Amino acid sequence: METIVELRNLSKIYQQGEMQVKAVDNVSCDIHKGDFTALCGPSGSGKTSILNLIGGLDTASSGQVNLEGVDLSTLSNTVLSEIRKNRIGFVFQSYNLIPVMTAYENAAFVLDLQGTDKVECRDRVMKTLADVGLQGLENRRPDEMSGGQQQRVAIARAIVTHPAIVLADEPTANVDSHTAESLLDLMQVLNEQHGITFLFSTHDQRVIDRAKRIIRVQDGQIVSDEHKA
Amino acid sequence: MNLNTLARRNLWRHKRRTLITASSIAFGVLLAVTFTGAGDYFYTRMIDAGSNMGMGHISVMAHDFNRAPSSKKRLHQAESLKQAVEQFANVKSVASRIQGQAMFSSARKSIGGVFFAIDPQQENSDNNLFVKAMVEGDMLSSASGSSIVLGTELAKKLKLKIGKKVVYTTTDKNGDIVSAIARVSGLFKTGADEIDGSVAVLPLNKVQQVLDYQPDEVSVLAVILSDQRNSDLLREQMQAMPQFADVEVLNWQQTQPDLAGMIAVDKSSNYISQLLIALLVAAGILNTMLMSVLERRREFGVMMAVGMSARNLFVLVMLESFWLALLGLIIGVIVTTPWFLFMSQTGLDLTAAYGDGFSFGGVLLDPIFKIRLFKESIIAILIGLFSLALLSGAYPAWQAGRVAPVESLKTH
Repeated sequence: METIVELRNLSKIYQQGEMQVKAVDNVSCDIHKGDFTALCGPSGSGKTSILNLIGGLDTASSGQVNLEGVDLSTLSNTVLSEIRKNRIGFVFQSYNLIPVMTAYENAAFVLDLQGTDKVECRDRVMKTLADVGLQGLENRRPDEMSGGQQQRVAIARAIVTHPAIVLADEPTANVDSHTAESLLDLMQVLNEQHGITFLFSTHDQRVIDRAKRIIRVQDGQIVSDEHKA
Repeated sequence: MNLNTLARRNLWRHKRRTLITASSIAFGVLLAVTFTGAGDYFYTRMIDAGSNMGMGHISVMAHDFNRAPSSKKRLHQAESLKQAVEQFANVKSVASRIQGQAMFSSARKSIGGVFFAIDPQQENSDNNLFVKAMVEGDMLSSASGSSIVLGTELAKKLKLKIGKKVVYTTTDKNGDIVSAIARVSGLFKTGADEIDGSVAVLPLNKVQQVLDYQPDEVSVLAVILSDQRNSDLLREQMQAMPQFADVEVLNWQQTQPDLAGMIAVDKSSNYISQLLIALLVAAGILNTMLMSVLERRREFGVMMAVGMSARNLFVLVMLESFWLALLGLIIGVIVTTPWFLFMSQTGLDLTAAYGDGFSFGGVLLDPIFKIRLFKESIIAILIGLFSLALLSGAYPAWQAGRVAPVESLKTH
């Protein structure tokens, strides 16, 4: 099975005043293509820190993060920015859409950054918005949409570029349970039918129940790595 | 969506704040136009008025005449020099004049003063302040004859009226003391007591005879230009010509150093005032843009997280500054145009404060406060304020590019 992410002895230490806080402590694991993995644990266990390191948003204190065989620790900010743009999709807890852009424009934002041809961009965005169930809402701005709809736009923005992996940080934390279920349905379909690799950080039991693989984190360390049958 | 569109929409996100900041730029345009326009108007008026008092914007004279005037120092072949000067573009008029010191005596009193001998055919109110300032009687009717025009204060001191005789005594080209009688034909009043109390205007040909000059000899060719700003360049061009090798060509700054000095000092204080206004405008823009960047840190963090480069973020905020500056300038032009038209055509009448006029650097100015703008000033104001607005956006833009995604995503 093709490995997308390799973590090797990964550690991240934050300085908080006089104290050093080990947010990630000697973590090693692999994420494979097509995985639907939940990184779960209590608040402050290091889930988001691991996600940030995999996404090239933060740099490791020690150890390695390899994304599609490339060691992220050796790359400049410019190259990391290119990798995030082309190979990683992000879904955040609080949607983080650009408020002055419509659903269409938000979904097309990264394609625009990539310089994708306008016609191709339009085709891909319209298809993706349809895939996430937002057909007909393309011209709505974030403040004209519900939380669930906004998160669907965020998912569309994350997958429209066909990334190697989608990193979703607590994607269901800000929506009601009905919306959370429908978002999970959507991501599950995208994983199963389109082969998109998802890595969640979550402590939402509904996400954990749906995940094919559950990595439990505590005090920055992996305490269990369970593959469901 | 391209960065340009995004920048415009971001600006419109806080309409009131954007309009207030654009208004501050517009106010800067209004103030800059008023200050610069007042400078362009008054300096030109002062320079023109000073030049019309005798020496012109450019003076052609015998060597050293300006430093130590004397009847001995005179121009020969003045007519051919005059014709050469008239060939230059931007020369409006050239007048042959003799300038000297004399003692003016009436039956009751004698007073020392200055005379300007002119050919009335070459003089008019555009190039001669005394013609413009006539208040009683007539200006000289011809270059010959025995008329004299006096300043009102000088006439008063000498207790002379129109039609009365006055004797003027001076030294001729040989250094001999000579005298002539003239009859007062008119009085002028510039409003500057030092001028009205010491200056007399005499006919050129008559004074040439009195001083034992040849008909082609005068002390100065006063050159009036259509635009005084060309005086330095034209002076250099004239001085470089062979027929001017034996004479001195000076511009108004050299013949009226006091006026030039006062204008330079006044300009400096004007520049300082404008700099302070510019700094206030810049501080407003900087404050707005910085606030706008700081409150969007999370948004910028997301943009960087999904792959936007720091350079693109810098460009985005600079584009916001660009559109803000452009909006401010457009509002500024709309607001300033009626003000400029009123001030340039009608002006503010300050007679109540200054009476009929006021003297600055020995030059009389009328009490109507007007403004005018040279093309260069308009361009300087627009480019200056636009650049200032862009520059004020540079630091916030740089800050935007320095946003650390992982840190900004933590903020709520």
